[in-house]
Amino acid sequence: MASIELDRVSKLYGNGNYGVHEVDLTIPDGEFVIFLGPSGCGKSTTLRMIAGLESISSGDLRIGGKSVANVAPRDRNVAVVFQSYALYPHMSVRQNMAFGLKMRGTDAAVIDAKIADAANLLGLQNLLGRKPAALSGGQRQRVALGRAIVREPAAFLLDEPLSNLDAQLRAEMRLELVKLHRRLGRTIVHVTHDQVEAMTMGDRICIMRDGRLIQAGRPLEVYADPVNTFVARFLATPPMNLIPATLQAAPGEGLSVLTDSGAVLAVPARHRNAYGERAGRRVILGVRAEDFHESPDKPDWQKIAVRVVAVEALGAENVLIGQIAGHATGRDDAHPAGGDKPLEIAARLSRYFTAPVGSMVELYIDPLPMHLFDPETELVIARPSLMGATR
Amino acid sequence: MTSMDRNERPAFRRRFGLHFGLIVVCAIVLLPPLWVLRTSFVPEQLSYSNELMPAFTTDNYSALLSSRFGQSYLNSLIVALGSVLLALPFAATTGYAFARFRTGGRWARFAVLATQMLPPVALVLPTFTLFRSLELSNSLTGLIIVYAALNLPFLTWILMGFFEGIPVDLEWAAMTDGATAWGAFWRIVLPVSMPGIAAAGVLGFILAWNEFLFALVLSGPKTATIPVALAALQTSNGVQIAKVSAGVVLAILPLVVASRFIQRFIVQGLTFGSVK
Repeated sequence: MASIELDRVSKLYGNGNYGVHEVDLTIPDGEFVIFLGPSGCGKSTTLRMIAGLESISSGDLRIGGKSVANVAPRDRNVAVVFQSYALYPHMSVRQNMAFGLKMRGTDAAVIDAKIADAANLLGLQNLLGRKPAALSGGQRQRVALGRAIVREPAAFLLDEPLSNLDAQLRAEMRLELVKLHRRLGRTIVHVTHDQVEAMTMGDRICIMRDGRLIQAGRPLEVYADPVNTFVARFLATPPMNLIPATLQAAPGEGLSVLTDSGAVLAVPARHRNAYGERAGRRVILGVRAEDFHESPDKPDWQKIAVRVVAVEALGAENVLIGQIAGHATGRDDAHPAGGDKPLEIAARLSRYFTAPVGSMVELYIDPLPMHLFDPETELVIARPSLMGATR
Repeated sequence: MTSMDRNERPAFRRRFGLHFGLIVVCAIVLLPPLWVLRTSFVPEQLSYSNELMPAFTTDNYSALLSSRFGQSYLNSLIVALGSVLLALPFAATTGYAFARFRTGGRWARFAVLATQMLPPVALVLPTFTLFRSLELSNSLTGLIIVYAALNLPFLTWILMGFFEGIPVDLEWAAMTDGATAWGAFWRIVLPVSMPGIAAAGVLGFILAWNEFLFALVLSGPKTATIPVALAALQTSNGVQIAKVSAGVVLAILPLVVASRFIQRFIVQGLTFGSVK
């Protein structure tokens, strides 16, 4: 059993700053968990605290039910794969993989057998005699994984292991890691700042910011129901569009969102109960890039005029960057309260969409998946989830 | 005149000026040692001659090596090597402690340099008094201890720099692999920093090899090192310049070899292949 429990775990530095602040998380045995967040959010520190490489300032950490707060890294039975791979440069691939087993006094014949198995699994058979300097980036990465696998640890802790690989290799290794997890069935904690890795690899995503765990959940749940504007923007490329607006009562029992540009979006009936009490208040309207469309396929999709700033042709799709007419200022990560920048939105459109820069185009917003956020707290205004719902 | 000629002229002048300047600088640097080399192969009585090579002899070398100078050469080797071998383990562990842990706080790093900040002459007399009462004066052991102590701060700082350049991930990997902190140092950090340790060793060797003041005060006729033996060639009959030159050539030979090693070790990448 190698469940990992973080019980209000904090890391306080000498300068009074928290690297990690009261993180509460239980990772059941065998789960593949992703820690996702921007640089400096505390995800690697959390991983190192689990590994025992950083001390815990307060709280408790349990692996397999036992508190390990005062247990040395070598006695925690976890293996770490570092972003830098951290292969021992003076040792061959075989020696690198054997090191952990030797340290534990494993029999030489057993070591050989385990290395052969791991080398088979990772395609390293022909590289065992080489030094790390003679390996490519992808090979080093696999050796680092192999070094972890041979030890058969209770949990694997992966600290951005794919970030030094080129895009193609990274995609391959993503798949390899997922397969490996299925095969070994061990707990994996994977730290990354890459949202594609986060969405595709893990059973669960834990999003961190400023040392705090902001949201944890299944990837699609977190995507569909972000708890605040940070998660909404972080977990997508392009990020969710945040549009300053006012929620107002519409004729009848309806509600509508009036954007600062004057565009009006009727709130779907399904959300009215949740949003009703906010009528008359300022809100931030959150619309994902894929919820903009070129044509009104459904009657409730609502028109909005956009001035084309750029069209990024990605092959499979075109991303339109545009300014919403009438909006003087916009909100983004750099200007959370709205800045001097004109409000730009990103819309994910079909690969056939074209429009000259500077022209006005009409797009249609699917209002159903929309979110409203409180402009002061930036927290989402809760509404029933659409996960599993049909239109 | 074509446009190419016009372009080439200033370039040629610049290159000529540059090379002429370099030749002058090289001459200033190289002439004295070359003159010493020349004098070492010239008979004593012709050594001040204006001729480039009035006569050729190896007598200066054979005379030197058959005298006590040969013994001094051996003494210098023993003392320089011994002091480096004694100082390196202390310097490596201290440097590692400073590089990786908060050992002693920031001021401790500078405190170890304290002896380097005093003029050597301020240290030599107390050392002499101390060593005489310990019966370590006039012994190679005494010199080894003194040079190890004098080189320790400097070697510590060099190695601290090397250790700081080693990615901490390597030690973390070793520690999660089952090594203790000491095991990670011994099995990973030390082998990886061998080039740095070798470079530090060579530098320590050079310093000990060249040291004069402590050697003069602490050594006797049988334990004199090369700098002391060279100084002794200045007799009441004047300076035996040809022999001194031969002595200087012999004295710098190990340093030439050592500096080649240093280049190799310092140029060699420290941890290539371990990360990225």
